Amino acid sequence: MENYGLKKDSLKEFLKTLQDVELFAPVRRGDVTAFEHVSDPEGVALDLEHQPLPAKKLLLPQTEILFAFDKKGLPKEPDFRGTKKKRFVFGVRPCDARGFGIIDSVYEKDCPDPYYVAKRSNTVLAGLQCSHPFPNCFCTSLGGSPSSSEGLDLLFFDCGGSYLIEVYTEKGQQVVKEAQSLLSSPSAEQITEKEKVVREAAERIQRSLSLDGVLRNMEILFEDPIWGDMARKCISCGICTYTCPTCYCFDIQDEKIQGKAKRVRIWDSCMFGEYTLHASGHNPRPTRAERLRNRMYHKFKHNIDLHGIAGCVGCGRCITLCPANEDLIENLQSIESAR
Amino acid sequence: MINPYLPHQAKIQSVKQETTGDRVIKTFKLVLEDNSCRESFLYKPGQCAMLGVPGVGESMISITSSPTQKESIAFSIMRMGKVTSAIHEKEAGDPLTLRGPYGNHFPLDEWKGKNILTVGGGIGQAPLSSIIHYVLDNRTDYGAIDIIYGARTTADLCYKEELFEMERREDIRVHLSIDVREEGWDRYVGFVPSNLLRIKPSPENAVAITCGPPVMIKFVLKNLLQLGFAESQIYTTLENRMKCGIGKCGRCNVGPVYVCKDGPVFSYVQLKSLPEAHIS
Repeated sequence: MENYGLKKDSLKEFLKTLQDVELFAPVRRGDVTAFEHVSDPEGVALDLEHQPLPAKKLLLPQTEILFAFDKKGLPKEPDFRGTKKKRFVFGVRPCDARGFGIIDSVYEKDCPDPYYVAKRSNTVLAGLQCSHPFPNCFCTSLGGSPSSSEGLDLLFFDCGGSYLIEVYTEKGQQVVKEAQSLLSSPSAEQITEKEKVVREAAERIQRSLSLDGVLRNMEILFEDPIWGDMARKCISCGICTYTCPTCYCFDIQDEKIQGKAKRVRIWDSCMFGEYTLHASGHNPRPTRAERLRNRMYHKFKHNIDLHGIAGCVGCGRCITLCPANEDLIENLQSIESAR
Repeated sequence: MINPYLPHQAKIQSVKQETTGDRVIKTFKLVLEDNSCRESFLYKPGQCAMLGVPGVGESMISITSSPTQKESIAFSIMRMGKVTSAIHEKEAGDPLTLRGPYGNHFPLDEWKGKNILTVGGGIGQAPLSSIIHYVLDNRTDYGAIDIIYGARTTADLCYKEELFEMERREDIRVHLSIDVREEGWDRYVGFVPSNLLRIKPSPENAVAITCGPPVMIKFVLKNLLQLGFAESQIYTTLENRMKCGIGKCGRCNVGPVYVCKDGPVFSYVQLKSLPEAHIS
């Protein structure tokens, strides 16, 4: 691992020197920030808190054209648009970066998804350490931390007047090479300060739970009325899945505009009744209770059994943004204490 | 890298209307246009494929032909939703898109030397038909073959002519039924699970494969156990809504398994370990 110091007022300059990459970073959109392609680094608005959508959408766009059909009805070979130039994604939460690792275990293995893999291999993920975690953060209960480097190519630590940058991968090293003139070796003070922000950030996490008890009870609670109780508040809006950095489900639909047909994939949500609705009218998960149960089992049992890791990074978005006040941590705690 | 979402073009060789009434089933025989695609499309009984109409969408359909039938790949499709309705409008010579095959398959190699019993209802006969043709085309590899198949009425029976012809063969026993009495029907009248109990096939050195509506499967499983079949001798298939076919889009899971890639074929033993399958 290499590390560097960067003066805070040189940050925009640093981003401008990155010539061979497309820069993606949070920009302000009303009360929130959103990851977008940024042509002028002056517009970058670093903000980890008011960021309803994780950077996931850059690799799994909400709507993505898989391919178009020609006049004969033959699919035209797609060009995986926007993936030719390397993408530098700056200001990613460490928890969101861990989320990509969870998606990788489905999308990069066992019949890889070429659309995702092309973007993933072409993306450099630069994280920003989460110095002041938010009220619903619980990454430390899921094996992460506000300073986790997992899934990141480089990570920026806010050391007051400067950043300390840790570079973990060859891909990350190639990018910072271009801005070498703005970087220095980190000073002893920066290193001490970094250790302090790492320690303090972990201490600021307010919520936690024990996954062991959840897993144990998942074995016996499938037919329990607990799921109906839990789903009583749910309105099946799907916001928990859309804002989740590890949810990856999609729908495929055909679009026909002025006689030209395209096959498109769109984010989908296991909270929607239509998600599993058969053409016959039969629905294996007809009510919110079955759908919520399936989501909990997928994330906190099946994903662990299949891929060795829970399908959750503890980012807390589904709690903060739920319009019906569903609280994932409380739900997990009620599973833990059910028996 | 292979793009698993890109379908191939296939031409409809023939269309045969199997049933009449409000649930029309047609069997479409397809031939892949491209020679290399045709050679690389290797499937086994039980597998499915994604059929599509450009601009309308795709549906996962089980393959009803056997890989021993080299001239085409057949799909029996009930007119149900948007895509199957669009497919039903198609005629011989029209193109469709095809990708796959997907999923696991019936363990026909393991079944060599065994007696084969299929118990089907309605459109559920589609994947069973693939097994039947496969074992008939490899007749000496298998023991006795019993086909139990029924539908609501004669108008709802698939593969009628073919099954009536098989009734006359010496090397296979066919037991057809309809739910309600009809003029001219001299075979069994009653539900498929009852016909199964009446025929009493021996579990000795046998495997039983059942496909059909969930309520039929439920009672067929019960009756097979009553006849002495062990759970490990019983197989069925599951179906769920699917979009990708490769375990990515999420929706076809039954607990931890994805019907598109881990199924559609499951033994009764496997199903019992899946509470969401609601089989026991």
